[in-house]
Amino acid sequence: MRFRPGAMRSLADEELMQVVLDGDVRAFEVVFDRHASAAFSLAYRMCGRRAAAEDIVQEAFLSLWRSGSGYDPRRGSVRSWVLSVVHNRAIDAMRRTGSKAGRDVPDDGIAERLPARDATDAEVLRRDDARQVRTALDELPTDQRRVIELAYFGGFTHSEIAEMLGLPPGTVKGRMRLGLNKMRYVLGEEARVTV
Amino acid sequence: MSGEDRIANGHRCGEDAAAYVLGALEPAEVEEFRAHLADCAACQKEVAEFEQITGALPESATQYQLPKDLRRRVMSEVRATPKAQEASRKTSARSWRPALAWGGAFAAAVLVAVVLVVALSSGGSSTKTIQASTGAAELQISGGRGDLIVHRLPRLPAGRIYEMWVQRGTAAPTPTGTLFGVRSDGSAAVGVPGSLNGISAVLVTQEPAGGTITPTSAPVIVARVT
Repeated sequence: MRFRPGAMRSLADEELMQVVLDGDVRAFEVVFDRHASAAFSLAYRMCGRRAAAEDIVQEAFLSLWRSGSGYDPRRGSVRSWVLSVVHNRAIDAMRRTGSKAGRDVPDDGIAERLPARDATDAEVLRRDDARQVRTALDELPTDQRRVIELAYFGGFTHSEIAEMLGLPPGTVKGRMRLGLNKMRYVLGEEARVTV
Repeated sequence: MSGEDRIANGHRCGEDAAAYVLGALEPAEVEEFRAHLADCAACQKEVAEFEQITGALPESATQYQLPKDLRRRVMSEVRATPKAQEASRKTSARSWRPALAWGGAFAAAVLVAVVLVVALSSGGSSTKTIQASTGAAELQISGGRGDLIVHRLPRLPAGRIYEMWVQRGTAAPTPTGTLFGVRSDGSAAVGVPGSLNGISAVLVTQEPAGGTITPTSAPVIVARVT
């Protein structure tokens, strides 16, 4: 399959991945352009350091390039696949270096927030979904939100969180479950997010 | 389920699903929960529901601009590795030593792995295939390099991928950075990075997408190179 340079950008992610599997660098470049900012933002959110976040994104996209055959459209969108790979890489990196942050405050003040004017229509829709998720998370009771953030963004196990917060392990697991159930309820079927 | 959590296979339903999807269970608990999950429809449902939420969590992060130089760096490395097979050959084995003991996982693998023994003659070519109940695999060796061809391996669920490891002598296996999925018929062909000189075994495990530096499961393939 050969595409004109401009035509590649009109393809859906799933179509692009078919071209990527043929080893097409331009198709991969389009996938990168669509999702790299979200990937970097997630890595930055998790490790709190720009240089480490850049390494994680670089490692993740190279592994995606090498293992594109691991993508299965029946199991989710390309974006969720990319972000899950970044998430796993970030956890590995944090465990490797012994640094777990899980914070939303950059330590160097260098990374720049994505300005609204750069947003495409698709990005606007995504941001709307993201706002819903952020709201659902923010509206959780602090104790539930905290254990979810420490686990998901910080890479801590329930035992580590229990020790950190001075709680019985069962309580941590219970708060995680309550929190996720509340988020599920808030987001609901109609507000199902697209990822 | 909270008030009426039932116990199945010795495991209290609902207790671990949230921690599992958040990646917060301890490694031993993960194995135990997966064994329970295979037979528990209630937990399967709860995990699927929670995965909708955790799948959306990355989007809740504040969005930042991509650093300008990062795109150039990534794409330049991608251009230097034009095909997956070649890419895996060029990737040098990283020197990470898995923190978890491979001993137990290795021992367990004897029961489930596709095991093959390959005679490695220097510079020559050889192939040996061993059939097993979980599928089949062959390690094709040519010029000191290897290609692992697998057949009828199970397709993995979302968020999981096969990862290749190499073992030198009796040292703990190290990750190669090679990750792969299988086609609908369970087949795949992947190059073993670098030379096979000094390699005593090539192993494959099932890991989270993106791979890991520490094995989280027993190998499904152990190709011993002699």
